[in-house]
Amino acid sequence: MTWIDFPLYSSIIVILWIIGLIFLAVSYKKKMVFKIATALFLMGWAVLILFVVKLWVELDRPPMRTLGETRLWYATFLPLIGFVTYIRWKYKWFLAYSIAMASMFLAINYLNPETYSKTLMPALQSPWFIPHVLVYLFSYAVLAASSIVAIKGWYHSYKGNFNIETLKLADNLVYIGFAFLTLGLLFGALWAKEAWGHYWTWDPKEVWAFLTWMGYLIYIHYRYFHSQKTTQALTILALAFVVLLVCWFGVNYLPVANTSVHTYTQY
Amino acid sequence: MNDNNLKIQRNLWESPWGYIESFFIGFGLLLTGLFLEVFVTSDTVFTLKYPNNVIFLAAYILLLFVAYKWFSTSQLIRWLTKVPASISSITLVTFLVMIMGIIPQVPSNNNIINNLGLNHITTNWAFILIIFQFLTCLGLISIKRILQFKWENFGFILNHVGLFLALIAGILGTGDLQRLSLNVYENKPNWIATDAQRNEVELPFAIYLKDFLIEEYNPKLALVDNSTGSIAHNDGKNLYLVEKGETYYFNNFEVKIEDFLPNAIRFGMRYESVNEIGSPPAAYITVKNTENDSIQNAWISSGSFRYPYESLKISDTYSMVMTIPEVKKFSSDIDILTKEGERISTVLEVNKAFKYKGWKIYQLSYDDKMGKWSNLSVLELVKDPWLPLIYIGIFMMIAGAVYMFWTGNKITKNA
Repeated sequence: MTWIDFPLYSSIIVILWIIGLIFLAVSYKKKMVFKIATALFLMGWAVLILFVVKLWVELDRPPMRTLGETRLWYATFLPLIGFVTYIRWKYKWFLAYSIAMASMFLAINYLNPETYSKTLMPALQSPWFIPHVLVYLFSYAVLAASSIVAIKGWYHSYKGNFNIETLKLADNLVYIGFAFLTLGLLFGALWAKEAWGHYWTWDPKEVWAFLTWMGYLIYIHYRYFHSQKTTQALTILALAFVVLLVCWFGVNYLPVANTSVHTYTQY
Repeated sequence: MNDNNLKIQRNLWESPWGYIESFFIGFGLLLTGLFLEVFVTSDTVFTLKYPNNVIFLAAYILLLFVAYKWFSTSQLIRWLTKVPASISSITLVTFLVMIMGIIPQVPSNNNIINNLGLNHITTNWAFILIIFQFLTCLGLISIKRILQFKWENFGFILNHVGLFLALIAGILGTGDLQRLSLNVYENKPNWIATDAQRNEVELPFAIYLKDFLIEEYNPKLALVDNSTGSIAHNDGKNLYLVEKGETYYFNNFEVKIEDFLPNAIRFGMRYESVNEIGSPPAAYITVKNTENDSIQNAWISSGSFRYPYESLKISDTYSMVMTIPEVKKFSSDIDILTKEGERISTVLEVNKAFKYKGWKIYQLSYDDKMGKWSNLSVLELVKDPWLPLIYIGIFMMIAGAVYMFWTGNKITKNA
């Protein structure tokens, strides 16, 4: 029973990461310590990947069906994004953010014990299932990161020391996230055609996924043509993320929810 | 737009039109559309069928081309190819779709929702007008970039043309889309399907169901509150699959599954495996109360449409029950019989449709009440002649997304 072991695994991971974060904070003063922080992050990440692999093998189906399982994937992707961003742009704060966010998702899962269910309804048994969900979760993780950059940008504008580099980082994250968002949406359409006979049915989740896509589309177009109007761009980015959150969690609470095929299973 | 506004706000409408003018026009379209919804009361949904939709598409693209080629200096065309028009139309489409995402798209008792047609956004005049402006912008920009082709615009063209094709083919294709459902019973051919309006449609071939099969997961074990009848363990989540030899813990109860029979009926004191229609799964369990070490043994069963369920009362508050098994897989072994006397055998399954003469045949459902003993299989037949065009659009966008990921963002690169 892998989920039963989750508290053990998650505590090990979170402890390793918290110590890592402390070292990372110290590394602003003493540069050498940063390597220790990285090693601790990587160790924690390795334990997390081990858990995901074990869970997948144990469940006999891709662990992507329930909200808790998607949180687990989110926690797995965030460190990856943190590391890649660090290697490319050398932002330590961003690495710290991604590790802290991943820890938060593990903590949420710890507080909401998850399903042991092995059952998977026939419509979900498709080769499209894994790419559709993985691409989406990766995209959400990157876009979440971009909105953190937006908040940082806002704070800096407020303080009066805004640096255009911040917005450039946000741009790059949005481009990567948006590319994956497009893939997720289109894979979903292709799959729906195979499973339900139509590629687009305006299911509530589809509607909000489309809205998320449009939100980031507005940001990209706005940035492309108004590269100097930074505050407006930051506002659009923050709003787009609100729509994304509605799509991810909020749809279940809207009056339209009961007509959706995407409502995450509650049993 | 009405002339008064043009005269009064002359300065506003001086060229080039910016965001204020764009949103002005956008809201104008929106209000016009809602006005039409309120005052044009016709129940029939406006759709174009073949060949009208093909003619419309050809004429529309030609018109866009002519407009860009020879009228690109006109105020209107210049505005449509500029960013404010794009951003305002993206925003307004987003706004209308957001209404769709909040108000359920079903018949409503609310007068405002009904009169403004907010419960059928996809066929709402306001949506049609706004989408039309959106497509016109998109089409003109695509033509512009194709005519001024540069390799660095490659990703741009893939994304914009792809979206244009997928959208317009999807919209114009609805008139030609056929979705039929067909009930087939074991050992009986059927060729009369029904459409969404319950009209009978004769198919050019018949379908003969040889066998309908369902595979099920094992049932699950649940702790139920005697007074409310609802599941009392972990908010109804995390139910355990019944498997022989497993031991599970519910509060202070240790439950061991001694035996499990997927198809069984009761003979006196015990259940025996049988091969009979409607025979439900049953399990023999031992429940130990760890507070007082008392032990209970019993057979429980989830029941079926023929046999009642059996639970075990383990205390004044709780009972152990077995849930109805969930479906793992269902499939139809069919023959397609053509008028020419051909016989094509195939197996239909969810996510595994079969293509035949422009039709795609899907496994849709079965008789829920009978479950795995159902001898009815419900199939769905879909014919969508516009699909290739939509797929071209979708695959262009997929290529565009990959390109976008690969090259990243230009603003940063150029800076």
